Amino acid sequence: MNSAKLRRSLVCWLILSPIVVAALFPFAVMVITALKPSTEVLTPTWWPSRLAWENFRTMWAATNFGNALRNSLYVSVLATLGSLIVSIPAAYALTRFDFKGREFYRQFLLVTQMLSPIVLVVGLFRLMVALGVIDNINAVTVVYAAFNIAFSVWMLQSYFATIPVDLEEAAWMEGAGRAKTLVKVFLPLAVPAMVVTAIFTFINAWNEFVIALTLLRSQDSYTLPIQIFSLVSGRYTVEWHHVMAATFAATIPVAIAFAWLQRFLVRGLALGAVK
Amino acid sequence: MTSKRVVAPYVLILPSFVLAALIVIWPVNELAQLASHSVNRFGQLRDFVGMANFRALLDDPNFIDALWRTGIWTIGVVGGAILCSVPVALVLNEDFYGRDLARVLVMLPWAVSLTMTAIVWRWALSGESGMLNSALMDFGIIDENIQWLAEARTAFPMQILIGILVTIPFTVTIILGGLASIPDDLYEAAALEGAGRWEQFRYITLPLIAPFLNIALVLNTIYVFNSFPIIWAMTQGGPANSTDILVTYLYKVGFRLGKLGEASAVSLVMFGILLVFTLIYVRLTASRGAKA
Repeated sequence: MNSAKLRRSLVCWLILSPIVVAALFPFAVMVITALKPSTEVLTPTWWPSRLAWENFRTMWAATNFGNALRNSLYVSVLATLGSLIVSIPAAYALTRFDFKGREFYRQFLLVTQMLSPIVLVVGLFRLMVALGVIDNINAVTVVYAAFNIAFSVWMLQSYFATIPVDLEEAAWMEGAGRAKTLVKVFLPLAVPAMVVTAIFTFINAWNEFVIALTLLRSQDSYTLPIQIFSLVSGRYTVEWHHVMAATFAATIPVAIAFAWLQRFLVRGLALGAVK
Repeated sequence: MTSKRVVAPYVLILPSFVLAALIVIWPVNELAQLASHSVNRFGQLRDFVGMANFRALLDDPNFIDALWRTGIWTIGVVGGAILCSVPVALVLNEDFYGRDLARVLVMLPWAVSLTMTAIVWRWALSGESGMLNSALMDFGIIDENIQWLAEARTAFPMQILIGILVTIPFTVTIILGGLASIPDDLYEAAALEGAGRWEQFRYITLPLIAPFLNIALVLNTIYVFNSFPIIWAMTQGGPANSTDILVTYLYKVGFRLGKLGEASAVSLVMFGILLVFTLIYVRLTASRGAKA
């Protein structure tokens, strides 16, 4: 340890402390409330008299958590796959081909990104009514996949551009066709990009609120954010220890995955911003 | 590229185009229809009414209030986030003990859904049992409970603060990308010339991260302008519509009051404003592309 770096570290942490405290405060509230015995929930003390782990068990039954968890997993996994399957070829085309309408397509994607679901929500609702798929989680899955295309293409493209064309050209020289080169040379190199994009799409779908709130009508089809929201909205008594336990269970796995992967995301986004 | 492959890119982009177009073009067309007709409660189109739905909005004081409040919300959150993010990114760009941990902690709010964040804060801000009040009392900052969400005077600023907190991670990320693109020897040269830290920041760092700040500014403006869950999950625009912004107003008019024509008109107004932001963004990225 050198003392100059030690002093710098102290100053850095001091400057960051307000934001770190503000970022951690809701987590602290969530964890502490989730572990308070139900009789102590309404007293705003920091330390519960004992850790009430049973809250998680009672929450599971009381909040229909398992069903919402299943729906969330189903929607998020399928939306991620769907979005990747259409985004990978598009990103490849934008990176490796110079074609008429390329700029138009980029801007079209940009517009889909700008027009977030909330602006279109009335129109989307009408579309789903017309198709007869209100309260259908498959319809929600398709909408999630579609709204993630712009971001996925952007991320993938920024990574794809860093893969040298030489490698593919070398394979063509050897007589491999374009398709074979794609599968044998390009895609294996692009795996990290696809993984990061998939995780980002998954988190987006996992956390989405407006579309689910509008298109899903019955408890059976609720995803986690809507299920948990339904526990606090329009009720006279809210079982906050259950709500916080549910929030905790829905949040922590995703937050850990994110913490682990955020440096890749940071790199990808930075690349994307420079492109 | 040879002309033989000229079909390939179109085949490759087709599936993504079809899917993205489905959820944008159809709804936009639908919004245009609804906004220009009178619509009954069951969503059936009646007569063509031209601009009547838009005029109804202008006569609704709640719409005008929400429009203003959207401006305050957007400027407050985006401005606050950028002001906080620059120093945070500068610090995170330094080499210090525990930097990786610090990065994770600053980025963490990004991973949590806005709905969950809003629900946790709603509980933390509750007047009698909220832990923010008890924390502030413990530190002797306040001496009686504040009913944070019971009136707009405290609810809306708190929502803006939470908005800032959740916008910081993305903004820091973009700025860090900008900082990483600055070569170290620029600073070394400046230090040799006798430039102090502030001068280095003012004349090297700031101009070189300016394009990144611009992009963060425009993208955040679009995201924040459209942000629905924080306000909806905390107050649903209440009490008495006093925390409504355009998106929550739109949702209420459309799905609570069932006035689909007026709600569509709000959507189209937002669409127009967003289009302006988009054009600014395209301008910014295009001018950067030309420079590169």
